[in-house]
Amino acid sequence: MDEVPRANGESNDHSNPSKKPKISSSLSLITQLQIQQEFAHHQDGVARINNGSFGSCPASILAAQRRWQLQFLRQPDSFFFNYLQKSILQSRTIIKNLINAHHAEEVSLVDNATTAAAIVLQHIGWGFAEGQFHKGDAVVMLHCAFQAVKKSIQAYVTRAGGSVIQVELPFPVRSKDQIIAEFQRALVIGKANGRKVRLAIIDHITSMPSLIIPVRELVCICREEGVDQVFVDAAHAVGSVHVDVQEIGADFYVSNLHKWFFCPPSVAFLYCRKSPLSLNLHHPVVSHEYGNGLAVESSWIGTRDYSSQLVVPEVLDFINRFEGGIDGISKRNHDAVVDMGEMLAKAWGTVLGSPPDMCPSMAMVGLPASFGISSDDDALKFRTHLRDHFQVEVPIHHQAPKDSKVGSRNGNNCITAYARISHQVYNKVDDYIKFREAINQLVHDGFTCKVLSQK
Amino acid sequence: MASPQHHPRRHLFDLNDTAANTNHHTPTKKPKLSSLSAAELCSEFSHHDPAVARINNGSFGSCPATVIAAQRRWQLRFLQQPDDFYFNVLQPSILRSRTLIKDLINADHVDEVSIVDNATTAAAIVLQQTAWAFAEGRFNKGDATVMLHYAYGAVKKSVQAYVSRAGGRVIEVQLPFPVRSNDEIVREFRKALEQGKSDGHKVRLAVIDHITSMPSVVIPVKELVKICREEGVDKVFVDAAHAIGCTEVDMKEIGADFYTSNLHKWFFCPPAVAFLYCRKSDETLDLHHPVVSHEYGNGLAIESGWIGTRDYSAQLVVPEVVEFVNRFEGGIEGIKKRNHEKVVEMGEMLVKAWGTNLGSPPEMCSSMVMVGLPTCLGISSDSDALKLRTHLRDCFGIEVPIYYRAPKDGEVDPITGYARISHQVYNIIDDYYKFRDAVNKLVNDGITWAALSD
Repeated sequence: MDEVPRANGESNDHSNPSKKPKISSSLSLITQLQIQQEFAHHQDGVARINNGSFGSCPASILAAQRRWQLQFLRQPDSFFFNYLQKSILQSRTIIKNLINAHHAEEVSLVDNATTAAAIVLQHIGWGFAEGQFHKGDAVVMLHCAFQAVKKSIQAYVTRAGGSVIQVELPFPVRSKDQIIAEFQRALVIGKANGRKVRLAIIDHITSMPSLIIPVRELVCICREEGVDQVFVDAAHAVGSVHVDVQEIGADFYVSNLHKWFFCPPSVAFLYCRKSPLSLNLHHPVVSHEYGNGLAVESSWIGTRDYSSQLVVPEVLDFINRFEGGIDGISKRNHDAVVDMGEMLAKAWGTVLGSPPDMCPSMAMVGLPASFGISSDDDALKFRTHLRDHFQVEVPIHHQAPKDSKVGSRNGNNCITAYARISHQVYNKVDDYIKFREAINQLVHDGFTCKVLSQK
Repeated sequence: MASPQHHPRRHLFDLNDTAANTNHHTPTKKPKLSSLSAAELCSEFSHHDPAVARINNGSFGSCPATVIAAQRRWQLRFLQQPDDFYFNVLQPSILRSRTLIKDLINADHVDEVSIVDNATTAAAIVLQQTAWAFAEGRFNKGDATVMLHYAYGAVKKSVQAYVSRAGGRVIEVQLPFPVRSNDEIVREFRKALEQGKSDGHKVRLAVIDHITSMPSVVIPVKELVKICREEGVDKVFVDAAHAIGCTEVDMKEIGADFYTSNLHKWFFCPPAVAFLYCRKSDETLDLHHPVVSHEYGNGLAIESGWIGTRDYSAQLVVPEVVEFVNRFEGGIEGIKKRNHEKVVEMGEMLVKAWGTNLGSPPEMCSSMVMVGLPTCLGISSDSDALKLRTHLRDCFGIEVPIYYRAPKDGEVDPITGYARISHQVYNIIDDYYKFRDAVNKLVNDGITWAALSD
């Protein structure tokens, strides 16, 4: 493949991105001031401690994206015929190296994890419709799977006659062994009566509540228990935990790149391990490339703006301006978010929802029980309240207490809500102090969620 | 991220800072901004490569600088505070765009209007529903889908992926080209319907282009939809990828069940945005966006309003585009009319210069025209046509798609190559002179495609 003339006139050699030195000799380490400048477009005055929901993108990447967009607008036909596919392949190759996949054809670029789920689940849906699977064959998912994925299972599996086994994960949780044991148990029960499990969907990092799931162990259990295929929904993973698809061993693995990997909205990769079973996956938006393999199909799904898929090389450059590259960034994010989480829990007299080693770059911090957050609706209203009245952006998770008695003695069991705080390179200690003070203020004012219901 | 159990919808009129001071209450009644001067028009499209005679608006469309700037403001707004944007701004803004489109296309209810990326996506939505109907036994194996032979390649593949795979039969309407009148099209269409109904099968879906892509011809959709109703076709899907901004688009007039058009081709939106119109009917249509997210089950329009985190900004600039369009004499109607007249004029100029003919009469042309190329160029395959297109781009700075028309038995020295020329507001007469002269040079130099290596 010829080197692609870069949109901005530079010519960087990306043929061996994994061999590139972590600190490029032509770029010095990024400074704190430069980091703040890169994220100067973030709204002033907001403690933005929710990188997990929508991610973030530095100014230099946005500028690179604009150059790609302009290149298309300038002469779209030439762009389509001469640049687009080559540039997508370049991005895919970088990702292949990043995640330790064997072949670039195993890596497809799609909009987001939601799209990847639709691809995998539609494939399962056809399995039922075409008789390879039988009515009642099962799909396994975690109880706290992302809601969009649950709906996708409904739309493609349940509708086609498949049944769904939900694995309840404990939360708060003390160790990954609890999760492994629970998963094993649920899978065995689910398979009772000889039901065949066609697909297991396992989050690498759950969304709400947020935890690192021991995917490698769970994939092994799936193989032992005869599950046909395993799909890991790792929407949050790339840029916050180490991702090695050989180690993890799943059949399908998806991660967003716009959450923790500094890409603009939106781009994700779907890894499909080469096998006879993976041949028949298709992008649901069918276009000219239908039948040429998922990766090629996904690279043209009609006229649209593909620019966010094309800036992966520039993103790698950006990341490599940080000490330790992406590993350095994710380690520092993790350490900082645990630090801040512990600071907050201490200030409020609450706890974290999991031990630090199960936290990625996010942590679940218990909120004071006095708020009386007792439903998902309360949690959402509370989140809105924090945004509107305190300029703090943080998602709130409602967790029904295990002990059915309301107001039990053990302080831990009183916590019915957790804030999912994130830490990304643009965050500062002040962001979390602002949050700490907001909560302290609310406690001091005797705030309860009943107040919000009266609005 | 928290699931959107409720969307506190801010009043539509709060979104003041998204565009140049505009009142979006009643966009059609507000005082017009001044008409665009020639210089302003030039400046709006100054990002186009000045060295290229860009006579192919039909493929990828075009977007003026004002709209691109508006799009950037929307993008920035999301990036500034995405959570606030998601909870408070996105859905009302999509609804505003949908409402404007509903008015533009004369639909009855805004519920009937969904916004998607492009016509390719709309086709997947309609065809996936057809696949479910086969899979769930509502349609019988062998029931037919009828489509035009000149249906867009991506749509044909979609029909294969969803209909053939699910057990449906596909019948193609063989349309003549060159074509002389609507009657020729109607005749072939009736034949295809008959075929579809043979052996007691039903025709479940007719997929009809409003303006075919290659070769480009305006199809008498209203008439064909009537015939479909008479002949008991279940549902009609009009693929009007090119239509809005290019020909008449009136949902009630046309009467189809599903109708899709891209807004980034002839309606000045950035890539990419299209609408899919689904006529409200007594039966639940049960259409779904294939990318399933939180809003699954809340109706296609709502489902399409959130298909995971992505850049929705192209969908949000419809108000700014309407404003832009209204700065032209006669608005979109005026633009359409002038584009059509100009492209026919240029087409006739070219065929006169080359001694060839147009592929259809002017009344079957939209803002695009099929212009016969000199036979001595010796185009004898799709691959030749693509080579010529590349050669014109690389050596002459002309962007124009070329269509290969296979000769029929008994034809003597037929025209086998047609150029599909487009005219949009940024085109100038020199673009077409450049093309004329390039082809004349190729003829004079005795270039044929057998001579060019791969």
